[in-house]
Amino acid sequence: MTDKTKAEVVVIGAGPGGYAAAFRAADLGKKVVLIEKDTSLGGVCLNRGCIPSKALLHLAKLIEDTKEAKKKGVFFDTPKINISEIREWKNGVISNLSSGISQLAKRRRVKIITGKASFVSKNKVSVKNKKAKHSISFESAIIATGSTAATISELPIDSHRIIGSKQALELNEIPKKILVVGGGYIGLELGSVYSALGSRVNILEALPHLLAGADQDLVKPLQKKLSQRFENIYINSTLVSAEEKEGGICVKIKTPKGEIEERFDIILMSIGRRPNTKGLSPEKAGVKLNKKGFLIVDEFQRTSEPNIYAIGDVTGNPMLAHKASYEGVIASEHLSGLSSKFDARTVPAVVFTNPEIAWAGLTETEAIKKGVPYKKGEFPWAASGKAIALGFKEGKTKILFDQKTNQVLGVGIVGPEAGNLISEAALAIEMGADAEDLGQTIHPHPTLSETVKNSAEVFLGTITDILIPKNKKEQL
Amino acid sequence: MKKTHTIRLPHLGEGVESADVSEILVSPGDKINTDEPIVVLESDKASMEIPSDIKGTIQEVFIEKGKEIIAGDKIVSIVSEEPTENKAKEKEEEKQEETKNQTIEKHTAHTTTKKTEHTFRTSPSVRKLARELQISLSDVKGSGKKGRITREDLIYEIKDRMTKKGADREKQEIDYSQWGPVDFIPLSKVKKITGTRMESAWREVPQVTQFDKADISGLNTYRKKLNKENPTIKITFLPFLIKAVTKALIKFPDLNSSLSVDKKTLIHKRYYHIGVAVDTPGGLVVPVVKNTNKKDIIEISKELEDISRRSREKQLKPEELKGGTFTISSLGGIGGTYFSPIVNPPQVAILGVSKAKKEPVFSTSKNSFMPKDILPISLTYDHRVIDGAQAAVFTKYLGSVLLEFLQET
Repeated sequence: MTDKTKAEVVVIGAGPGGYAAAFRAADLGKKVVLIEKDTSLGGVCLNRGCIPSKALLHLAKLIEDTKEAKKKGVFFDTPKINISEIREWKNGVISNLSSGISQLAKRRRVKIITGKASFVSKNKVSVKNKKAKHSISFESAIIATGSTAATISELPIDSHRIIGSKQALELNEIPKKILVVGGGYIGLELGSVYSALGSRVNILEALPHLLAGADQDLVKPLQKKLSQRFENIYINSTLVSAEEKEGGICVKIKTPKGEIEERFDIILMSIGRRPNTKGLSPEKAGVKLNKKGFLIVDEFQRTSEPNIYAIGDVTGNPMLAHKASYEGVIASEHLSGLSSKFDARTVPAVVFTNPEIAWAGLTETEAIKKGVPYKKGEFPWAASGKAIALGFKEGKTKILFDQKTNQVLGVGIVGPEAGNLISEAALAIEMGADAEDLGQTIHPHPTLSETVKNSAEVFLGTITDILIPKNKKEQL
Repeated sequence: MKKTHTIRLPHLGEGVESADVSEILVSPGDKINTDEPIVVLESDKASMEIPSDIKGTIQEVFIEKGKEIIAGDKIVSIVSEEPTENKAKEKEEEKQEETKNQTIEKHTAHTTTKKTEHTFRTSPSVRKLARELQISLSDVKGSGKKGRITREDLIYEIKDRMTKKGADREKQEIDYSQWGPVDFIPLSKVKKITGTRMESAWREVPQVTQFDKADISGLNTYRKKLNKENPTIKITFLPFLIKAVTKALIKFPDLNSSLSVDKKTLIHKRYYHIGVAVDTPGGLVVPVVKNTNKKDIIEISKELEDISRRSREKQLKPEELKGGTFTISSLGGIGGTYFSPIVNPPQVAILGVSKAKKEPVFSTSKNSFMPKDILPISLTYDHRVIDGAQAAVFTKYLGSVLLEFLQET
């Protein structure tokens, strides 16, 4: 039996972008249907991404901190890990948030239909689940189907020893030895979790650097820590073959020093993410995809079909929840006739490792690559009272300024809480703030946030916490 | 046939030896018609325009803006032309020149590199408002620190555009000659200035007019008597009106006031300087009779006589036009009933009076209609300062003062 529904707005996917879009549209007075293939709302981010990984990274940091405490005269016994209790706690965090979203949907009278959506035309979508088939006609649709971890063809895909981030976060076991393929933020975050839980973690990265998009001066303090925690970090290296053998998986790795062979219990793939368009049949609605399979959208998040919008991962990089939710709101506001558009100057990025790395706006790597002229103010955390008290002197805050106007172009931070510190940078960029604006804003002492002010002061030559760099002194 | 004429500064009148060039209205190459103004001069008594007495093309301009010139000095030379067939051709050329200029302008507009949105010092909320108002930030001048674009800047920009839009519409000259013959009459400087002031007064001041009638029968009898007693001067109705208004202003100080620029304070003036609108051949001027509370009818009469004579002769001093606290505009000599004058800011009210007429007024004591001299009065007031009830009370009081003038003086 096919159930027929009419909606003003259909949102496909209830991840952080999708539910934001649905709720905003409902708040703007639209009749909204939200389609989600899982029974739990929140998408990858909440169920098997950002949130569970942050819960586990919190534990990882706790464990690492107990080890660090030794140097400060506090001694902890080796922690006892109860994997099932950890899993239960983590799932509790998820269900807490997920039920919160369901509540919010209910209160807003957003109708939720569970099942996989597939376009029939540019005004109709069908949804199938085990029990029934729905046909929903709509005025506007917002595609928010997200992305899935990518795999590579060299691997025997069906092996249960080869997992993605989703399975890794299910926390079924703590493997003794794990190979993380891909040294991006997901690989490093999950590697950190398993390392803290007791796994011997190996990282395999094809490029010459970890976290290819980030500035290497920010990666360096992290890499130093990781190389102590991880068994091996193979850079400039590729996976040649993997073969399941009794009790493990044998992997041949091509490194610059030659080919090596290692046995692992688990291979965790984190080499990127692919858009979820399989089964969606966007072509039936006339929605166009780019060469990489992402949906093409304009500044209002409209696809090639003006009544169909797309937001979040399915539209391309950066695949970040906070970008998706911003876009979701834009889409709903635009289809409601408001003059909203993608107007953000920066989508900040955070790597939630220990230490964290965060940046907003222009990175130095990008500036050099694109030939954007810039000036820089840098403050080493070795001069920050708070950083020393916390026991992390290797941190650093740097700000890139416009050569003519001294406006903030980009900020990069490495150190604990970098992810919380970067919001000030994002605001500065959005506001068009300059070095003086940051340098003359009183920041509370002693905090890590002072390092943002200090970096601006280093640039201005007004810093008192450290000696003024020589070249700055000459200018004064 | 071409002929060159030199135009020299004529005698400007008694006691005027020299004048300053305040505005040169032509430049070499300009075509000029007979009676079209060439230059605006400013003497210490008044400003005046010197018109051309011939038709032709300006060849040379001998004067400089801001410099003093005296009678007999060369102003411009004009080449006069006999009508020839070439005229049409010239016009054609002119047109071509114009289109060329336009093309160039458009071209530059296109090639000007716009500031990239990324560098604007402004917040996301202001950017959003800009989208709502459909303003490109590159068109907005930021008033904040270091050129930061604020919410107010956008609002200002919109206001600016709305006024410009209006102005643009006016700019598009309609060719009235397509429906019949027309004449082009240049406006005098006074008229242009008056026009601008009226326009801004109309736009800035929310104004309302209160109409009323005043019985001046007794006053007229008294005035005639006074005229007999003082044969040397002619005492008109106006001085009585000025005195009556002054009395009313003393009682209602809100009408003798100005609003502070921030619109938070009302400034009561404890002096009474009454502006009197005088129609002159050059346009409307409003000389001011000062301290009317300290002068009597005879003094005011004499002063008015002197002022109106000198107004017509453009011999008023600039100070004599300043400092007014209230204005009276009288059309009594002409006719009509009621009219609504425009408030003359920063003053907050203006009184318009028309011609008094005999009207039957019912007298209860005599139980019959009596012929009375009834004066139509119109009070326009700034509604930000004065409300309707206050205005009605004012005109009513003014009427009673005029009615009982005999007893008062």
